[in-house]
Amino acid sequence: MSPAISSLATVLILTLLAPTGMAQPSDVKIYPKARESTRLAVADFVARTAVTPQTRTAAKVFNDVLWTDLKFSAFFEMPSKSFYPLKPLRSPQDVSFDHWQAPTLDVDFLAFGNLHVDAAGAMIEGYLYDVKTRQQVLGKRYSVSDVTLIRRVAHQLADQIVYQLSAGTSQGVASTHITYSSLKSGSKEIYTMDYDGSNVRTVTANQGINKFPDWSEDNSKLAFVTILPGSARWQFWIQSLQGGRSVIPTPTSYVSSPAFSPDGRQIAYSARGRGHSNADIYVSNADGSGKNNISNHPAIDTSPTWSPSSRQIAFISDRTGRPQLWLMDADGSDLRQLVSEGGHCDSPSWAPDGRHIIYSWQAPKRWKHDVYIVEVASGKIFQLTSGTGSNEHPDWSPDGRHIVFQSTRTGSKQLFIMNADGKSRRQITAYGINESPAWSGYLTRP
Amino acid sequence: MNRGFLVTVRFVPCVLILLAVGSCKKKPPPAVAAADAPAVAAPTKPAAVMPTIEITAEPGTIERGSQTTLSWKSTDATSVLIDGGVGNVAETGSLVLSPAESTTYTAIARGSGGSARDSTRVTVVPKRADKLSVTDIEGLQRAIDDGRVRPIFFDYDKALLSSKSQRILEENARWIKRFPTATVIVEGHCDERGSEEYNLALGDRRSQATRDYLLDASVSPTQLEALSFGEERPFESCHDETCWSKNRRAHFAVKR
Repeated sequence: MSPAISSLATVLILTLLAPTGMAQPSDVKIYPKARESTRLAVADFVARTAVTPQTRTAAKVFNDVLWTDLKFSAFFEMPSKSFYPLKPLRSPQDVSFDHWQAPTLDVDFLAFGNLHVDAAGAMIEGYLYDVKTRQQVLGKRYSVSDVTLIRRVAHQLADQIVYQLSAGTSQGVASTHITYSSLKSGSKEIYTMDYDGSNVRTVTANQGINKFPDWSEDNSKLAFVTILPGSARWQFWIQSLQGGRSVIPTPTSYVSSPAFSPDGRQIAYSARGRGHSNADIYVSNADGSGKNNISNHPAIDTSPTWSPSSRQIAFISDRTGRPQLWLMDADGSDLRQLVSEGGHCDSPSWAPDGRHIIYSWQAPKRWKHDVYIVEVASGKIFQLTSGTGSNEHPDWSPDGRHIVFQSTRTGSKQLFIMNADGKSRRQITAYGINESPAWSGYLTRP
Repeated sequence: MNRGFLVTVRFVPCVLILLAVGSCKKKPPPAVAAADAPAVAAPTKPAAVMPTIEITAEPGTIERGSQTTLSWKSTDATSVLIDGGVGNVAETGSLVLSPAESTTYTAIARGSGGSARDSTRVTVVPKRADKLSVTDIEGLQRAIDDGRVRPIFFDYDKALLSSKSQRILEENARWIKRFPTATVIVEGHCDERGSEEYNLALGDRRSQATRDYLLDASVSPTQLEALSFGEERPFESCHDETCWSKNRRAHFAVKR
């Protein structure tokens, strides 16, 4: 279903470049952590040989994607390209480090490179230099059989740069994907796309209603719930992105909001047992076997999310009258209420750092939701979105630095990404109704 | 239906009844009216008393092949005859009948003071299958489309059934039971204000509450399936209470 992940290795040939007179950087070395205000320049990649219209188009795409990825990573201060020296940088010999250290730029690191496009595809060389020490941090050559894959190369290089300069705290999210539920042509189906909204791929086309997708820990499968046309029952599907699916048996017609545990061994979901009048949280093995009702309360319990340790589950329960955020161990013990502000909480997502949970909250007597973050240890709450429209269903990027969410701020329900502090918001869908996004884990190795 | 018929008879002025059929269940008419009545002889024995009779059929409308119960009660009668094929009966009694066609049953009570009569009509309707050659599935679909099986509505974030909703469900239960081989899907729906996950669970709670009520109204569990649509299928799409109140509902669909 998704050739993106599996075929990447076959499409790209990654080679470390050993420029003349420079030491070859070790494959595993992590550059010392960049300071908070690391200044990065990213010069436009230029044609290695003759400039053809095709090369010019490819270069524009590549440069836009690389710049946007690095800017969104929120690791760097990136001075405007208008301050850059005019001389194109094809290879390390072209760099005049003094220019990049001038007061108007004063950058710590410089990325640049070249590309070549022909009938056989494209080849891209990318470099990252420490401007102060004039040492090469990164040198990579990428080869793709189709020029349309050039976006992917830009994402990979951006991730490499982030990985090197973040001291390994992030592998970069530019190559990650987002799955979501979308109503574009009559039925609500599951899709995946690149984190920036490009390369939309169809996962389901069953003409039913498909909702609440979540990634398996190894990103090879999606769990979601489906009601097929004419059916009187929600089904719990686990679909492989390589094709093939299993339908997990559930007790009754209601099942919702599945969530794989981060250790890949279990799955939590909301279902109603036979003879029960309300939804409970169930935990089963990852293949659906051995299910247990772990919340077992005559109130609505839904929207489970796992702690990174896979030991705890946060979920939504209306047992106090209104849907609020609760915590329990994965066996149902040690239950406690984390957020009790009244109103309506939902869609919690536990941060990769384990210390925070994001969720949507609708204040009492209002009907708009906003995204909030709560510190698990202290219960301190901060608001992350505001303004017009309803902002809901947040989920974390794998490095915990970004959040994807749905918002009606432009009128219809669309997806947005932003930094974990609520800044640098960027719209990534524009057509149809798009909802319940879930961010993949890292899809490529650094 | 039958009850309405009796009420109508009772409210017709007595004098007209006397002219038409010589019967009145109210107190004896004034002398001047009695003098106009052709069938009633002038009292010769002061001890003689006019008989009374009352006859009802419950239900008043049946499908062909179903049964109705005829009940009658007379006073001061020495004999009671019910025409329409029943014959002589006791002064007070009841009888289960299954007439093939619509029939008016007239009971005539005779006594020392004269005679009295009362009528009731049993309307026999064809079985829906006879008349329309439809299956239970199509019959129930028609009942839903015609608004005989009606949706019910809920308060915000609630799944409680109001007394009005309960009355509607009693009526719905009667219709659903008439199509015993059809299965009805009890759909729970929500307005758009809650979150999607919570609404899917709330719609489930609404469909469960509705289904449970229908079970209590003796609809067979084999005829009922409950399903939540959350906020996926609104009736109305505006973003205020005029639409929200219509979207917070349980409604009924025939399982195909």
